[in-house]
Amino acid sequence: MQQLIDWLFKVPNGTAAVTAKDRMRNMLVHDRLELPAGKLEVLEEELTAVVARYFDLEPDTTRFDLQQMDRKAALIANFRLVRSKC
Amino acid sequence: MGRVIVITSGKGGVGKTTASANIGVALANTGASVCLVDMDIGLRNLDILMGLENRVVYNLVDVVEERCKLRQALVKDKRMPNLNLLPAAQTRDKTAVDADQMKKLCEELKSMFDFVLIDSPAGIESGFQNAIAGAEEAIVITTPEMSAVRDADRIIGLLEARKDEITQYRLVLNRLRPKMVANADMMGVDDVLEILSIKLLGVVPEDEDIIISTNKGEPVSGTDNTRSGLAFRNIARRLRGEEVPFMDLDAKNDTWVTKIVNFFNPVRV
Repeated sequence: MQQLIDWLFKVPNGTAAVTAKDRMRNMLVHDRLELPAGKLEVLEEELTAVVARYFDLEPDTTRFDLQQMDRKAALIANFRLVRSKC
Repeated sequence: MGRVIVITSGKGGVGKTTASANIGVALANTGASVCLVDMDIGLRNLDILMGLENRVVYNLVDVVEERCKLRQALVKDKRMPNLNLLPAAQTRDKTAVDADQMKKLCEELKSMFDFVLIDSPAGIESGFQNAIAGAEEAIVITTPEMSAVRDADRIIGLLEARKDEITQYRLVLNRLRPKMVANADMMGVDDVLEILSIKLLGVVPEDEDIIISTNKGEPVSGTDNTRSGLAFRNIARRLRGEEVPFMDLDAKNDTWVTKIVNFFNPVRV
């Protein structure tokens, strides 16, 4: 009986499609930029160092995100600034 | 002057040749004159799908190397006189023609036909480059699998780099399994479109009738009562500029309510 109810009211529960889409997005953004592995991390370190010359940054809050916008990529950086060092 | 459209995918085995044959047949059924060009030199297959393998005498390389006239190499379809095939050579390889020769050939073909459909080989090397050399439009074929989508993305990038020559490209999503999409086990139409940022030309559901029709040498788009055949006919109508609505294949969750609804409203593409 339980099986019948399950069959009648089956709701989708797979996550493979979501996983595939996330992996694809990430992969293609790197493919399109022809970005060698590890380069982005170097850039992030350098950017953080530059911003840190001008501001005190809240520790461990800096975020980098590489996003797809149409067929272009966008690098979104988020720094939490505490105060100016200037 | 006709339109030269290349059908390409990057990855092999996603249905380029099947799509070429079916779109060709469907376009010819709308009354247009069509020439299918098999550019997969060395791996000739389009003749088999069309059921014309016994009629091939000359091929594309013979035309380019001037061993015969273009008209002598064209194989007329069994059923429709306005549908023609220019077969690939089976004993040569991709280096047998170059881009300039293809451009010249396409110029000549488009003065003779309303549609020149070029079936591109897999890959992104010389065979692909030659296949797109004379084209003004492209149809990118993919399945909803990650590897196929990734390769399609690469192809789109290469097509975009030739914006001046190839003015428009659209996607055909092939071998979609609506049930798996509904269960979120597989990427759907919207997922793939979002990832690739490309316009949709058509969606073809996975269909066993394709295998049967290939064995018979009669593309499904020439026969009624198959879902995939209808999908290809819709693609042909869209290519001719008609607005044919897309039915949402993803949205159905497989509950008994939708099962009943689907029973009375068969899936349309």
